Amino acid sequence: MQDLEEIKIIVTGFGGQGIIMAGRIIGKAASLVDGNESTMVQSYGPESRGGACNAQIIISANPIHYPYVDQADILICMSQGGYEKYIEQLKAQGTLIADEDLVNPADGDFDAYHVPATRMAEALGQKMMANIIMIGFLTAVIPAVSVNAARETIRHSVPRGTEELNLKAFAKGYDHGLAVLKGREKKAAGQTGAIA
Amino acid sequence: MNEFNIILFLCNWGPHVAFQTLQDRREKIPYEIKMVRIPCTGRISKALLLKAFERGADGVALVGCRPGACRYGSGTLTAQENTDDARQILNIMGVGEQRLRQATFLPDDAEGLFEFLKTFSQEIRTLGKSPVEVSEKSVTKAIDLQQVARAVSKYDIFSCQDCGKCSSACPLSLTGKSFTPRAVASAMIAGDIDSPIVIEGIWSCLTCGRCYERCPRAVNFPEFVREVREIYQDAGIKALEPHGGFFQSMMRVQGSASLNMDRWSWLPESVHLNMKSKILFFGGCAPYFDIFFRKFLGPQTQNILLDSLRLLNFFDVQPSVLSNERCCGHDLLWTGDERGFRKLAVLNAEAIHASGAEQVITACPECYRTLAVDYPRHGIETKFKVIHLYDFLNREIEKGAVGFKPIDAHLTFQDPCRLLQEEELKALPRKLIGHLKPRSFREISESETGPICCGGCAWNGCDAYVKAMQVNRLKQARAGGRDTLVTACPKCQIHLKCAMEDPFLGQALSMDVKDLTSLIAQSIYWA
Ligand code: SF4
Ligand code: SF4
Ligand code: SF4
Repeated sequence: MQDLEEIKIIVTGFGGQGIIMAGRIIGKAASLVDGNESTMVQSYGPESRGGACNAQIIISANPIHYPYVDQADILICMSQGGYEKYIEQLKAQGTLIADEDLVNPADGDFDAYHVPATRMAEALGQKMMANIIMIGFLTAVIPAVSVNAARETIRHSVPRGTEELNLKAFAKGYDHGLAVLKGREKKAAGQTGAIA
Repeated sequence: MNEFNIILFLCNWGPHVAFQTLQDRREKIPYEIKMVRIPCTGRISKALLLKAFERGADGVALVGCRPGACRYGSGTLTAQENTDDARQILNIMGVGEQRLRQATFLPDDAEGLFEFLKTFSQEIRTLGKSPVEVSEKSVTKAIDLQQVARAVSKYDIFSCQDCGKCSSACPLSLTGKSFTPRAVASAMIAGDIDSPIVIEGIWSCLTCGRCYERCPRAVNFPEFVREVREIYQDAGIKALEPHGGFFQSMMRVQGSASLNMDRWSWLPESVHLNMKSKILFFGGCAPYFDIFFRKFLGPQTQNILLDSLRLLNFFDVQPSVLSNERCCGHDLLWTGDERGFRKLAVLNAEAIHASGAEQVITACPECYRTLAVDYPRHGIETKFKVIHLYDFLNREIEKGAVGFKPIDAHLTFQDPCRLLQEEELKALPRKLIGHLKPRSFREISESETGPICCGGCAWNGCDAYVKAMQVNRLKQARAGGRDTLVTACPKCQIHLKCAMEDPFLGQALSMDVKDLTSLIAQSIYWA
């Protein structure tokens, strides 16, 4: 959280994608390891049975008085239903991080990243780890939690015996995030190809 | 004592008359000039020019007839081209183009010739001794039987059970050459080490490793061959070096410690280097090949180096390079000149250590294999990690965010024999091709049991059987409408292009040859 006073994040997807777990990891990393304040509320409601579920996280340098997120800085979407339901809650010029294959966003006043998280997780042999890949990506592109905090928290939050694979998934997402940033930078500088 | 050595290759026809006039007049021709009378300057190949330097010449002059006066028509022009190419290579190696001169004189121009000889020898005196160290050859005349016995037991040739699996895998045996690894192995066990057929067999092997891969007793025939070649070299049994041994000479010259080489000044400014980088790019010999083959094949192997650097820059790596980068030593090692190999290896390892690099990236399969495997195996300490460019590229590309422009071609791929030792390496080129967007890609042969080499590894033993094998390879590659052969080694590119010149088959073999690194560099972009 180098330059941001407060970051509000909504993570959404369908039940079984590890949405709540992702939210919990982000929040814990920010508070328990990075030493910031953080809150998380989760909603299941009727949508938890296959519909859209969500986790709302606030990370702040100062005490947080109200944990619900009305307008989010960052919306992480892992399902089309979640996207449709929560896109209105992404503030103007906010950041959308969406699973490339599961979400088909319309144009809007936001900065969109399309991450093939589920596909990358499948390539690792663990579709379940798409959420961890998303955390990796988030960590690379947004200074919400530090790499070290994210890694430590993942290590302590995932089932015993799956730590290494989860950290590998994190690294995949993180590296992808860095690559995307690098690509944006290069494109902005007009260096798209390898041969000038 | 003669301090300097200048070789004067003097054409028999025009200028020799002028030279005789000088002798008749008892002119003081500088004593360091050794005249070698030749039939035509056009017959002095690049290999002979370089050999003179390898064997200790401080200067070489190629003196012939005026262009219009050449008795054979094109001799003077050929000499000019050979001299130009050799001078360029001497420059890169830090020997200096000034040491090689070409001149022409009419028979009656004794004065002109005399002036030239005096000036040239003065120039060489000013330049000083050549930086090339002449390697003393310890030729022991007879084949060292004990060493042969040691090699036989070291590679466990005795365990051969005569099953013949190797012969049915060996591309040379399959092309009809009267050579099989099994026969050579049994002959050597039986003590036949110097019959012509065994000697030819040892020099013919391509060291491609197909036999070793299939041998149920894990007889490492290629390594055995390599070691026997060393023993042969010591006994003065010469390697079958194509192109007059030009490349081996070039590599031996580079074994000299005090060369002040100029490997990289040709790089365009758009390439970003950082001489303090922990990552060093090791280029390999490609630039020399392009110069050498400029006239016939027009290979584009120097571009592999340029495109490698561009790709490293693309991914934000600004590597260092060695201006004194020598040949890695692969070819000398595999043609039995272990001493020559060792000199190069020690000089390269020292230079890499001095650069402070912790990682060495190379795009050349032979350099990769030699630096990563053979340096340590031969006791040369390497305090750096060697990575093939494909490994680096694959890791970066898998991070995503890059795309590939469509390639309007039907591709197939020729595996380089030196990347086949490790499963992981073997898979890399295909992973990379998998990212590309060609019109189609198909393996050269679906039924093939493992890849077949290009036939020209280590600049050793190119003959009619190798040519036939390459022609077969190209026919396979062209089948099914494929138009572009992707290669991953400068030598595959050169040798297979050479085979396309087959006069009987002509156009039937011709296809585009593209290096994989260059293909990637041309089509990758930040998506
Ligand atoms: S494959 Fe091995 S065991 Fe069989 S003949 Fe060849 S060297 Fe001997
Ligand atoms: S290394 Fe290759 S060329 Fe040599 S014997 Fe074995 S299969 Fe034949
Ligand atoms: S294949 Fe051609 S280029 Fe290669 S060694 Fe033989 S003659 Fe030379």
